[in-house]
Amino acid sequence: MSYAKIRLSLVAVTLAYASLAIAGDDPRHVRHELMESVGKAAKPVGNMLKGERDFDAEVLMSSLRTFEDAAGRFGDLFPDDSRTGEDTEAAPAIWEDRAGFEEALARWQTAVADAIAAQPDTLDAARPVAEPVFQACKACHESYRIDDED
Amino acid sequence: MARIGRIVVAFLVLGLLAAWWITRPQVVAADELPDHDPDPIAGERVFWAGGCASCHASLVDGKRARDGQKLLLGGGLEIDTPYGVFRVPNISSHADDGIGRWSMIDFTNAMQRGVSPSGRHYYPSFPYTSYAKMPTEDVMDLKAYLDTLPAVEGRNAGHALDFPWSLRRGIGAWKRRYLNAAAVIVVDSIDPMIERGRNLVEGAGHCGECHTPRDMFGGLQPARWLAGAPNPEGEGRVPNITPAGDNIAAWSVGDISYYLESGFTPEFDTVGGSMVAVQENMAMLPPADREAIAAYLKSVPARE
Repeated sequence: MSYAKIRLSLVAVTLAYASLAIAGDDPRHVRHELMESVGKAAKPVGNMLKGERDFDAEVLMSSLRTFEDAAGRFGDLFPDDSRTGEDTEAAPAIWEDRAGFEEALARWQTAVADAIAAQPDTLDAARPVAEPVFQACKACHESYRIDDED
Repeated sequence: MARIGRIVVAFLVLGLLAAWWITRPQVVAADELPDHDPDPIAGERVFWAGGCASCHASLVDGKRARDGQKLLLGGGLEIDTPYGVFRVPNISSHADDGIGRWSMIDFTNAMQRGVSPSGRHYYPSFPYTSYAKMPTEDVMDLKAYLDTLPAVEGRNAGHALDFPWSLRRGIGAWKRRYLNAAAVIVVDSIDPMIERGRNLVEGAGHCGECHTPRDMFGGLQPARWLAGAPNPEGEGRVPNITPAGDNIAAWSVGDISYYLESGFTPEFDTVGGSMVAVQENMAMLPPADREAIAAYLKSVPARE
């Protein structure tokens, strides 16, 4: 194998890594993955509120920590150049009404922080602090997520 | 030659008269109303099932009304459609700007025959083809409730429609084909709960208006009842909510009721798009009504 060929393949490998890294850092992907993790964490808690699953304080706290982490990072994941593409469900309103979006995000952060601080150990204690967390999800999605079913 | 001309003219005149006759607004007479004492409490339930506020509530800073604001029915929403722009009227109890002076029969004819008190056709953007399937007692209860809501000042501009839709009289012909009181899903014997659900879904709830595809004249296709349709307000589709629907197929009656109450799917994703306002209205109903809706949806024929 000639040096030229080795150099060429090195360049190719480097380029491949670079594009992978870019894809991995693409805010559209990062926020999508983050939301997927939030959805997965929401389901067991939602089922407790719905009465389809026994209350479990540990599961609840673990989900709340997932929300806390996501809510803390979410605000930085909507740079100007990530408005469209990659099937993003981010609505244009995020950029057109940034203050409203920040407010909706803050509502979620506050609700999560309150729920964590409350350390609920029964379903009756969890309900009044967990429901505002879910309502914050819903309110933000209504204005700032594109919904085209199917 | 002159004689042939006269015959042609005579046929034209006859044709126009026939068209005029066919398209005439048809109303219910006051003495045909059922013997019913209108109940505003029952009417409030009809109000939320029908989602009157979703179109008729006054906009608040250009956005949709929330909570108590939904009781101020000044109208003003503009609906941009392929036919032109529809502007939603004031239906508050205001005597001049709203419907405060309407009689019970005026209201019933508007809701179930699509005819205004002055005898003109309404456009079916006001979904009276669904309301025609409501028990008239429910319509009367709704009027009693609307009478208790605040008067809101202000009249809105009329619709701005493109020709030929601007010819209002033509709706009379359309109604002949699409307006009737018959239930869409008819079965030999019906469980009372499913029947309640049918009244809510096919009638006041007017679910079919978005969830059922329309034919070339803009009428709903009963053979594809609730099978999903293009989103009338933009991209994407309104989902199929028959038992063949992609998502809803796996939902239990409890899941559907919970979704209508809370806005969360069994995966704990949230309700989206124009369904948010619908869900929030459904959340105001007694649990038994949401369950009835769910039971009905489970009972309708599966359509791909």
